[in-house]
Order: sequence, then C-alpha cells, then structure tokens
Amino acid sequence: MDATAEQKYSFDVVRWFAIMAVVYLVVGALVGVYIASELAWPVLNFDSPYLSFGRLRPLHTNAVIFAFGGCTLMATAFYSVQRTCGVRLWSDKMAWFTFWGWNLVVIGAVITLPLGLTQSKEYAELEWPLDILIAVVWVSYMFNFVMTIANRKSSHIYVSNWFFLGMMIMITYLHVVNSLAIPVSLFKSYSIFAGVQDAMIQWWWGHNAVGFYLTAGFLGIMYYFVPKQANRPVYSYRLSVIHFWALMFGYVWLGAHHLQYTALPDWTGSLGAAVSLAMIIPSWGGAVNGMMTLSGAWDKLRTDYVLRFLIMSLAFYAMSTFEGPVMSIKTVNALSHYTDWTIGHVHSGALGWVAMVGIGALYHLITRCFHVEMYSLKLVNLHFWAATIGAVIYVVAMWVSGIMQGLMWRAYDEYGTLAYTFAESVEAMHPYYAMRAVGGGIFLFGAVVMLYNVIMTVRKSVSEGNLEQARTTVLAPA
Amino acid sequence: MSDYFHTDWAAMTTNDWIGTILTVVVFLLMVGVYAYALRPKNRDKLESRRFIPMDDDRIETGEKHGG
Repeated sequence: MDATAEQKYSFDVVRWFAIMAVVYLVVGALVGVYIASELAWPVLNFDSPYLSFGRLRPLHTNAVIFAFGGCTLMATAFYSVQRTCGVRLWSDKMAWFTFWGWNLVVIGAVITLPLGLTQSKEYAELEWPLDILIAVVWVSYMFNFVMTIANRKSSHIYVSNWFFLGMMIMITYLHVVNSLAIPVSLFKSYSIFAGVQDAMIQWWWGHNAVGFYLTAGFLGIMYYFVPKQANRPVYSYRLSVIHFWALMFGYVWLGAHHLQYTALPDWTGSLGAAVSLAMIIPSWGGAVNGMMTLSGAWDKLRTDYVLRFLIMSLAFYAMSTFEGPVMSIKTVNALSHYTDWTIGHVHSGALGWVAMVGIGALYHLITRCFHVEMYSLKLVNLHFWAATIGAVIYVVAMWVSGIMQGLMWRAYDEYGTLAYTFAESVEAMHPYYAMRAVGGGIFLFGAVVMLYNVIMTVRKSVSEGNLEQARTTVLAPA
Repeated sequence: MSDYFHTDWAAMTTNDWIGTILTVVVFLLMVGVYAYALRPKNRDKLESRRFIPMDDDRIETGEKHGG
C-alpha cells in the first residue's frame, strides 16, 4: 500500500478512467463480434436498420478507439505524468470535467450512430455538436497535462510525457481541421472540403489518428509502463529521443498512401509510400527499445503475466509497422486495397498492439491505484492467452481472405473477361468471416474475464479496506 | 528522370513557399536533434534519464533529476 502516493496524487479520476476503459473494451469488442457475425450470417441483421452493419460498424470503431482507447490514454497519462513529475494534477476539477465530458461523448455516439446520424467521415463519424464537445474536452485534457508538467519537481520531462504531449497537440489540430463543417441542422452538417481535397483531409486525419492517437499515445504508455512493470529502466533513452522525433516528423506525411490509384496526384501517393517505408526504421527502433528493456531478465516473462501483455504488444507493433509500409507500396496496394487484408492489418495493430499494451498498463495501474494485488493472476494469464490466440485467429483469417479476394477480383479468363463475379468472391469469403467471428469471440471472452477480475479486485480492495487505509494513514512529516 | 523531378518554380504560390521552407527547416531541426542525441558527449546525460520512472520516490521527496 502506498499511502504517500495516494495522498499526494489525484488517483480518483485515474481509477474511474481505468474502470471505464475496461467496461468499454468489453462493449466495443462485443459490438465488433456482433457485426463480424453479421457478415458471416446476415440473418443477424434482423431487418432492423439500427442493427445493420453500416450503422454498428462506426459504433464499434468509436467504442474501441475513443471510448476504450481514450479512457486508457487519459487514465495512463494522468497517472504517469504525476508519477514522473512528482506533483499532483494541476486541477482535479478539470480532470473530472474531462472524465464526464469524454463519457458524454461516448453516450452521444451510442445514441446517434445507430440512428444513422453521421458525417460519413471514417473515424470521425460524429456530427458537429459532438465534434465541438470532443474538441473542448480534449483541450481540457491537454491543458491539465501541460500545466502539471509546468509545475513538475523533476527538471527533465520524461520521454513518455513527450509522446503523450505530441499526441495531444496533433490530435487537437487534426480533429479540428478534419471536422470543419457547415451545419444545416442540429444533427446534419456538410464538410467544408469537397472532392479529392476532402478525401486528402480525411486520410490526413485518418492515418494520423492511427499515427498519433493509437501509436504515439500508446508509445507514451509503453515508455512508462514497460520499465515500471519490468522494474528495469528503458534500454536506451537516446533511442527513445530519436524514436519520438522521427515519429513526429514522419507520420504526418503518410495519409496519401490510403488514396493510391485515385484522383489524387500520383506523386502524393508515392511520397506517402516512400515516407511510410522510411518509418519502419524508427518504429522498429522503438519496438526493439521496449523489448530490450527486458535484456538479461527475460525470465520475468515466465511469471509476470502483465509483462507478457506489454512485450507481446511490442511484437505486434513491430509486425504491423512493417506490414503497413509494405501495403502502401503501389504494387502491393493494387492487390491489397479494398480487401480484407486491410482489416487484418488494422486489427493486428488494434488487437495486438493498442489493446494489449493498454490492457497491460491497466492491470499495472489498477493494482497501484487500488493498493491491492489482482484478484486472480490465473485469470490474467487466461486473458493473455485468449487475447493472443483470438488476435492471431482474427488476423490470419483476414490475411487469407484478403489476399484471396484481391486475386479473385483481378483474375481474367482467356477471353479477357473477369474470371469471377463479385458474388462468387463474397461466397468464397464465408469460412474466413466465420473464423474471424470466432477469433473476435475469443478476444471478447478475454475482455470479459478481465472485467470480472477487475471488479473482484476492486471489491477485494474495498473489503480489505486498503484504499480507505491509504487515504487516511497519517504520514510522517517529510 | 529529369522530367520527373522538374519543378515549375515560377508557379510556386506563397503557400507553396511557406510549406516548403517550413518542411525543410523542421527536417533540419530533426537532423540536429539526432546529432545531439547520438553525440558521445551527451550519452551519460541522456541515459541518466532512463531511471526517472524507477525513481518515483526520489521525485516525491522533491529531489530534482539532473539536466
């Protein structure tokens, strides 16, 4: 029990963000498994527009990216900035405003998306009132973080805070520009951009949501929580500095690789692909830096299940940051684009990297913030294997399905006509879509196990009085 | 190849120049950061910061890290 930290820092808001992150992981994965099942067994639509794939898919992406991902980023950033700076959050009230505001956004998404109220921009579907709310809440998150750093007791700003800050600044800029729209009613607006410019802005946002929100932000998590969980300093601080600046400079160029073979000028796609390939170097540098933190202490992986999540996430990070640049090359893109290969790639990053590093950090943080060990370490281990096996089944199914799709779409017969109809390619996908639903289901099972384990851990902390004791223990004067 | 890299400088707008200059300046700054990070003289100073997450207790008592 760490009464000093409990009384010195703001952990209440961190605890709530952490618990909501676990709840949203279950909700987001549940919706994901449901829509994956709809693709395999369309009868699950029940002829209801509210349950249709088109409406539930953005609900799934918003739930996992913004609800789970956002709460995880806010919990971990607010926790680690206090610990590395040695000061309490600048404003508790503002942190609670961030918490309630962010959850209000999530509720808004849950109501509006199934109703079909959308801007039709991928990963930015929410209509303009919610976009404004996101911007206000996000700026409050950033402002509180910056002011906490400004009040720090340590003279140096640790690298995890640099990654968090880079994410916060860039996401503010990207969200505001991409969401610029002219409202015509309370829940209808039109983007101020049109045609290919709109597409370019959309993917400038879309890829940077991946690059800054899902990569830089979660690397901030990695650089704090891997060393803490392993109880060893990060392998190379200089490598982390290079990793940070290369990511900040490189990621903003990549969006155009989503628009190969479109009306976008050819050179922009080539530039996007070239910088994507260059990004393999810093990305792998970062992955190696995280993994080599365990150099000389690999045996910890035998017994520390939380560390397994963190290290496995880095393996997926390395894999998906190699796969992505390869897919951006025009020749490969000609086969992969518009196929399930893209879905497989996205989920190797989302399930393997983002979710696993986030889950590892949440397990670490929950034990520290509730001043108790996890209710069951066996369940943590079970979760690890369910998450790993589920992710691998999902990704492999989509790889096979996607490559098969691409090959079927481009196959010609001896007369120069298409060898397969589109419907034939859909039919061929069925076993893989069922396999994907099974993989997602296994991952979801792991998330439910985590939720149960976290609830029981919190109950254990309450029943043993650990939290109350940490709050009320009289500390010796410093 | 020369056609591929041909640039019509006269057609460059103010926005084009601002973007180009900013990009080159930021790129050079990034190279400068690499040189700083990799300079052997700075090694010990930078690597000492690896221990910040390990030293939560020291920060909590108000002791500052070097640098």
